[in-house]
Amino acid sequence: MRKALVVVTTVLLAVFVFQFVFAAVGAFTRPAGDGAYLLHSVTGMAIIPALCVLTVLFAVLARAPGRVVGMTVIPLGLVILQALIAMLANSFTDASGSSTTLSLIIGGLHAFNGIIAVHVVVGVLREAQKLPVPGSVLTGTTT
Amino acid sequence: MTTGSIIALDIVIAVLAAASWLAAGATAATTALSAAGVSEPADTADHGRAGTASRRRLAIGLAVVAVIAILARVVTTIVLIRAGWWFAAEKVLIAGPLALAALLVAGPRVVRWVKGGRPPVVALLFAGYAQTAAVLVTVLHGYPVSSAAVLLAFGGVGGATMVTWRLAGPPPGRAVSRAPVVVTVAVITAGLVLVVAQRPAPAVPHAHGSVAEPAVAEPTRRFTLTAGTATVRADGREIEAWAFNGQVPGPPLTATVGDVLEVTLRNRDIDRGVTLHWHGYDVPNSQDGVPGVTQAAVLPGEEFVYRFQADQAGTYWYHTHAVSDIGVRKGLYGALVVQPSGTQVRDPAARGTGIEVIVPVHTLDGRSLPEAVEDTADAGTPVRLRLINTDSTTHRYALTGAAFRVAAVDGVDLNRPSALLNTAVLIPAGGRYDLTFTAPATPVGLFVDGRVVWSTGPVAVPPQAWPVLDLLTYGGSVPNPLPRADREFTLVLDRGLDMHGFLPRYAHTVNGAADPDIAPQVVRSGESVVFTIVNRSLVVHPWHLHGHHVLVLSRDGERARGSPLLLDSFDVRPGEVWKVAFRADNPGMWANHCHNLAHADQGMILHLLYG
Ligand SMILES: [Cu+2]
Repeated sequence: MRKALVVVTTVLLAVFVFQFVFAAVGAFTRPAGDGAYLLHSVTGMAIIPALCVLTVLFAVLARAPGRVVGMTVIPLGLVILQALIAMLANSFTDASGSSTTLSLIIGGLHAFNGIIAVHVVVGVLREAQKLPVPGSVLTGTTT
Repeated sequence: MTTGSIIALDIVIAVLAAASWLAAGATAATTALSAAGVSEPADTADHGRAGTASRRRLAIGLAVVAVIAILARVVTTIVLIRAGWWFAAEKVLIAGPLALAALLVAGPRVVRWVKGGRPPVVALLFAGYAQTAAVLVTVLHGYPVSSAAVLLAFGGVGGATMVTWRLAGPPPGRAVSRAPVVVTVAVITAGLVLVVAQRPAPAVPHAHGSVAEPAVAEPTRRFTLTAGTATVRADGREIEAWAFNGQVPGPPLTATVGDVLEVTLRNRDIDRGVTLHWHGYDVPNSQDGVPGVTQAAVLPGEEFVYRFQADQAGTYWYHTHAVSDIGVRKGLYGALVVQPSGTQVRDPAARGTGIEVIVPVHTLDGRSLPEAVEDTADAGTPVRLRLINTDSTTHRYALTGAAFRVAAVDGVDLNRPSALLNTAVLIPAGGRYDLTFTAPATPVGLFVDGRVVWSTGPVAVPPQAWPVLDLLTYGGSVPNPLPRADREFTLVLDRGLDMHGFLPRYAHTVNGAADPDIAPQVVRSGESVVFTIVNRSLVVHPWHLHGHHVLVLSRDGERARGSPLLLDSFDVRPGEVWKVAFRADNPGMWANHCHNLAHADQGMILHLLYG
């Protein structure tokens, strides 16, 4: 299970990196047609949350300490927050849907929150790699 | 501040409170761990202790931020209660108790911690879960407050707290731990059972062709519209579109009051079917073109003949109502213009007495239609611009170079419209405005969202800062005693989790339900009906009732003071409350929906039927 946790966290990290690429694809698609942000939103609202849930699940199954399980929950929370921020940013656009200063600030928070999430996932990956391998000499903490 | 921005601000504050509690809990947990000597690197003991002290300060600071946020939320909630109970119900009934529990549980323990007690990790995280649940209830199922939402919120907080307790807190005694687990599981189970059991009765079975309608005379205007995939040129690019007669927009259909229109719709190769809906034209129910309600969708190789009398003059449009979100977006739409009777010549421009321009604005695969046209207009020529918004979002129109009047909205003439200068107009999705003016000797330009679409010479882009016309105070009022309402309906527009078959979706909802689970509205012929439409979501919803024009009574409690407004498409912005009335004088079963067609597709459509 430790191995599964490491693998799924690595995949999550990779998808997160691609998510930034997809956001850029959306931003630079001309014309900004119907599907410009499609990849970004599908990844953000389906693939990443699913991987986050798997991370939590594998952390629990790997009998990781409470602190590490707690850490794996953080990306899930941040991803939900991320969708909420995107919704709020849209709600602050003006009557004909053009962006306003406030909507741009909140949109900026969306990017900022994404960067934080990546850092947390890197932290989770480090912790997962540090977990004792079953059967090895290091299994001191299991009871 | 508008109610709409208070709604958004309230969510921002609630998120801040939740994040602060959770971060305080997580920070407290690290101090607890280092106090217990777990996982702290073998730094110098002094360094470790200093780090612990600063993290303790950080955690306490975060808890203080959370408390301040909760107090701020009390203020936003009171403002929202004053705007209407719909906006605040779940904040008072669910978020309030949860926030109070968070304060009562975490508050005293944080104070004890300040005085040197143990870090209250579980209490802080409990507060975080409670506040998170409060946010989720607002975002996922706010109105009406349901017992299922209450149970799931409280059960979820209980469950998360117990898991945390096991993972991080001091192990509880065996006798204590069993009872709350049983209660929590029971509460969550009861909530889930209610979710399944409380699903509203599905809409009345769709029956069409049951209403007796007057016979229509022999057609005087015949058209054929053939729907099919086509490659069209727009903005210098080839676009794969769905088109009527190979063109986007479809051919404009014109008639004169008194004409009988016969429109033959054929489907060449649109696999998902097409229909024709006469947007804003209050045709008999059988001609309304809503698949599954008034007719079956016309599949490839099939045809359907629409026949109706043109008895309302004005600017309208037609579009498919089958998979309407995709269908209209891809190009299945066109203008319908009916001239007042007595106008024998169908193209007034040809009469030399004036210029008429139809401007159906549309976004086709990211490109804005129509392309800019430069016209000539001799000074003194009367001009009528028939503006049609065929998109799903609001557009901003501005006319430079001349004073103009909004002569008609949604096909209906306004009473004594005054001249406007340097004023923008916002046209909702599906809406139509007729702008009239007399051409001056200098150039005039019409802009849509800052892009010129029609002009009579070189013109500069009008400033974004122009004020926007408010129709509710425009034109001359008519002393009309409001009819007593025989029947009233309230429609609370929001978003929420909804089971679509077996798949959960984040739907656009009316009164907490999404199509096909929204109870139909039943009226009797001849009744005077009042709708109160409340938008508690974060996005605008352009409301559109088929088969009727509605008279605007008030917005946010303020009576409409201008010309009587008979609309078929009107923007209900976040936080707004519209009261509109209509006479039930067109029997049948009518779609009543948001004309942001993506929203309609995601649940925001219900039906009005005559019982
Ligand atoms: Cu809508």
